[in-house]
Amino acid sequence: MEHVAPELFNGLVLGAFYAIVAIGLSLIMNLTGTINMAHGSFMTLAGYFAFALIARGTNFWFALLVAPLLAVLVAIIVERTMIRPLYGRDPVYSLLLTFGLSLIAEEVFHIVWGANTLPFAPPAALGGTVALGFMNFPTYRLFIVAVLLLVFGLLALFLYRTRFGLRLRAAVQDSEMIAALGTNTQVLYTINFGLGILLAGIAGVLAVGLLGLNPTTGNTLLMPAFVTVIIGGMGSLYGCLVGGVLIGLATSLMTLYVPAASEVVMYILMAIVLTIRPRGLFGEEGLFG
Amino acid sequence: MTPGRIATLAAVALLALEPLLAPYIKVDVTIVSAALLFAIAAMSANLLLGYTGLPPFGNAAFFGLGSYGCALSIKYLHVHFVGAILFGLLGALLGALLIGPFLVRRRGIYFGLLSIAFGQVFYFIAYRLTDVTGGEDGMSVSRPYLVFPSFTMKETAFYYLSLAVFVLSILAFKLIVQSPFGRTLVAIRQNELRVRYLGLDSNRFVFAAILISALFGGLSGAMSAMLYGFIAPITSLNWTQSGDFVLATILGGAGTIWGPLIGSIIYVIGRDIISTITPYWQIFLGALFVACVLGFPRGILGTILARFGSAPVANDPEDPARTQSPAIAVEHHG
Repeated sequence: MEHVAPELFNGLVLGAFYAIVAIGLSLIMNLTGTINMAHGSFMTLAGYFAFALIARGTNFWFALLVAPLLAVLVAIIVERTMIRPLYGRDPVYSLLLTFGLSLIAEEVFHIVWGANTLPFAPPAALGGTVALGFMNFPTYRLFIVAVLLLVFGLLALFLYRTRFGLRLRAAVQDSEMIAALGTNTQVLYTINFGLGILLAGIAGVLAVGLLGLNPTTGNTLLMPAFVTVIIGGMGSLYGCLVGGVLIGLATSLMTLYVPAASEVVMYILMAIVLTIRPRGLFGEEGLFG
Repeated sequence: MTPGRIATLAAVALLALEPLLAPYIKVDVTIVSAALLFAIAAMSANLLLGYTGLPPFGNAAFFGLGSYGCALSIKYLHVHFVGAILFGLLGALLGALLIGPFLVRRRGIYFGLLSIAFGQVFYFIAYRLTDVTGGEDGMSVSRPYLVFPSFTMKETAFYYLSLAVFVLSILAFKLIVQSPFGRTLVAIRQNELRVRYLGLDSNRFVFAAILISALFGGLSGAMSAMLYGFIAPITSLNWTQSGDFVLATILGGAGTIWGPLIGSIIYVIGRDIISTITPYWQIFLGALFVACVLGFPRGILGTILARFGSAPVANDPEDPARTQSPAIAVEHHG
């Protein structure tokens, strides 16, 4: 049992990451039909921005706030210049484009920051462990869960309690009607894309403190995030949360008992969920065929 | 003779003469073999993408299972050439039978997402089964004898074998897409609801398309494994390989019969040349993706055919059937 409890907590941390990344992917996918293969690259980019900021003397907290915003700035430029012309076309085009962008990004990271994993230590205040009574747990991981829960809460407030969130959700249902009612849907798409990348950026900066920083850090979280979206169900934010935690727990338990199956277990989980519920756990009927 | 037929014969003649031309044009036979075999995998993607209208991002699974089916059968069962190909096809077919049922009812981005995810399963299996497959380090593949044990194939012989396999594949592909079955696939892409109203079970056609696509992918994978003499999960089974097949298809012209070959030749030979010039070749590769999507959505052959007004509908990126906004998806499949 003393081995299981820490692994379960690790699974929760991992699951929170998958969930936040998956929600970002899901937001972009739901509104514009774009499968963003560059999502992992934006995470890594935010990580490198944070590294560069800290190397220039700013503290971790400032970097955690500003680096994701810088990544969003890049994302907005990319969306306006390259992704926007592809809306309304076969999804294969935007997928290929973002895949190409991720190839470029990976090589640019190589050139600018090198291929080696860079040291990225969270501040001393977040080092060490916290005694939870029955076990000790790394403070930084608890901090990650707290931040990601806060982000999720703010996002839910934004989407379900503001007029802007209302417009976003309505545009997912019928963007033509929203445009006819006087909303500038192009701006809506851009902000939505930026929002998805903001989530990716926050997750990215937090992840490099855990996984280390190299050109492919973000991409290692991309595939689990896809599986999270599928298990949770397309178009559902809470689905992403539940799906992410399920995968995180399953993966860390497998790492404990059958390490060889730790990567495959999420696909098995996905196959089981889709067999029982073809649209995923919380997938909306009718959305995305 | 139509201009199309003349171009076809010229292309095949040029390919047949390539081993003689190789020293002059500085294009090695091995790399042309690779391009021809890559083109078979691109055709496998094209059947789903160009004709059936599904984004095939799991085709690396079929390709990789073909590679591993071939390599493992040579290593453990000591089969000869034909046996190795058959085991490759079997591997790809089994993979398709396993993941096909999950994909068959999905369209648009949902199909794309599921195909990426399910395709990755085999990547991790090959990655982890170190004892059998060599895991991350990959495994070497000894080229088996063709008919007689004494006849081992050198590069030129293998080139002609690849060319023969390619020609047979493209003939088969042409027969398939021009048959009533192939027409039905195009009809599904254009208006699936109408196909259903005509009394056809469109899911069964899609499932058959996935199986056929897997066979083409598996054939390409098996032949490629023997060409390179080496396979590894990252270069055969990883989803990025699926992205390369789709890019080659779109670059040449999705929904056209010869497009995938044109795209594959440019992609494979171009990648080979760029990677010898600069260590940062991945940037140029990525730029090719971006340029192709933004500047050449019809692809090379598609653009040429459109100029003469004879491009297939399946090639038009602005075709309403190819635009998959969520709102449209609700109306069609809700």
